[in-house]
Amino acid sequence: MCDACGCDGTSSKVLEINQSLLAANNAMAEKNRIHIESLGAVAINMISSPGSGKTTLLEKTIDVLGEELRIGVIEGDIETERDAERIRAKGVPVVQLTTGGACHLDAALTHRGIHELESQLSGKKLDLLFIENVGNLVCPATFYLGEHRRLVIISVPEGPDKPAKYPRAFIGSHVFIISKTDLMPYFDFSIDYITDDALRLNPELRVMALSSTSGEGFESWISWLRSLCIRTV
Amino acid sequence: MHELSLVQGLLSQLESLARQHKTSSIRIVRVEIGQFSGIVVDSFQFAFEVLAKESFLMKNAELEIRVPPMQYKCFQCQNVLVVDNEPPAMCSKCQSTLLVPDGGDGVILLQVEMD
Ligand SMILES: Nc1nc2c(ncn2[C@@H]2O[C@H](COP(=O)(O)OP(=O)(O)OP(=O)(O)O)[C@@H](O)[C@H]2O)c(=O)[nH]1
Ligand SMILES: [Mg+2]
Ligand SMILES: [Zn+2]
Repeated sequence: MCDACGCDGTSSKVLEINQSLLAANNAMAEKNRIHIESLGAVAINMISSPGSGKTTLLEKTIDVLGEELRIGVIEGDIETERDAERIRAKGVPVVQLTTGGACHLDAALTHRGIHELESQLSGKKLDLLFIENVGNLVCPATFYLGEHRRLVIISVPEGPDKPAKYPRAFIGSHVFIISKTDLMPYFDFSIDYITDDALRLNPELRVMALSSTSGEGFESWISWLRSLCIRTV
Repeated sequence: MHELSLVQGLLSQLESLARQHKTSSIRIVRVEIGQFSGIVVDSFQFAFEVLAKESFLMKNAELEIRVPPMQYKCFQCQNVLVVDNEPPAMCSKCQSTLLVPDGGDGVILLQVEMD
């Protein structure tokens, strides 16, 4: 006889499971969130196609806020330490996670990253933790990492049809950043059009258009980050 | 290719279910994949076939994937519209065109049939 359900174990039986395949990931992510909060930080998961300007946005953000807020970064890439080296050059604590082929970060890998970051901090706290996901607009959107806010970025050269083509990334995000707006003169790109399409998928999205090169639109990005870090106590 | 890691997770869950219920063969696995989950049904099926072959427990298992119709909610009047795949043009109650995807972002293990 079967210990689990008491059946005779001979005929076929149907188990009703009704559980998300992401349940284990999400449970681990919840632990990550609590761990991140114990470091004092608000975590932001950045999702975009390769080359949309995630690392450049982080570099410029550290230039502006690095003295005022304690920033930490977890970099996710399939291979190489390059993005982490760029962030390290800015003098903030950073951990590079390489997925060795996987197209996304998951909660277990992020958990390792948080521990490595914590040992670099040696007791110090953080205000903001950026998690730069693997460059990919599809796969990362499925995996909650324990972040407080999720960011989806589309750069002007990618074209304005991306929300319609990659709905999942928009449905699950809090903020939509249109990056590289300095390139608007060279591309057929309408901010109104893409904003409208994104809001159709997710009316709660906060939309910001900016350029890390020219600094255009940076004020609202920076003040949004500041607002995340205001302590209620 | 995140379908591969999801299937890997599914198989290890099935292995522990089989251990719990002392079975050596799983017959049917029923999974639901939402149309806004960002998961490609064909890739999921393919990953299952490749990985299941390597497992004694799963080698005769069949994967049945259910894809429920899409559901949209009217942003104005909260009316829920159900469609097969194309988003509806406007709300059938208030004619608003602001219709927002409602659910459909999950991937769920529904049932397992075992010997
Ligand atoms: N013109 C312009 N170029 C930019 C801007 N931001 C980034 N770039 C350029 O875009 C390229 C890619 O930028 P990254 O910041 O490395 O992009 P990423 O999203 O981190 O790339 P992956 O980590 O590989 O996914 C670089 O050549 C940057 O110089 C911008 O605001 N304007
Ligand atoms: Mg990068
Ligand atoms: Zn309506």
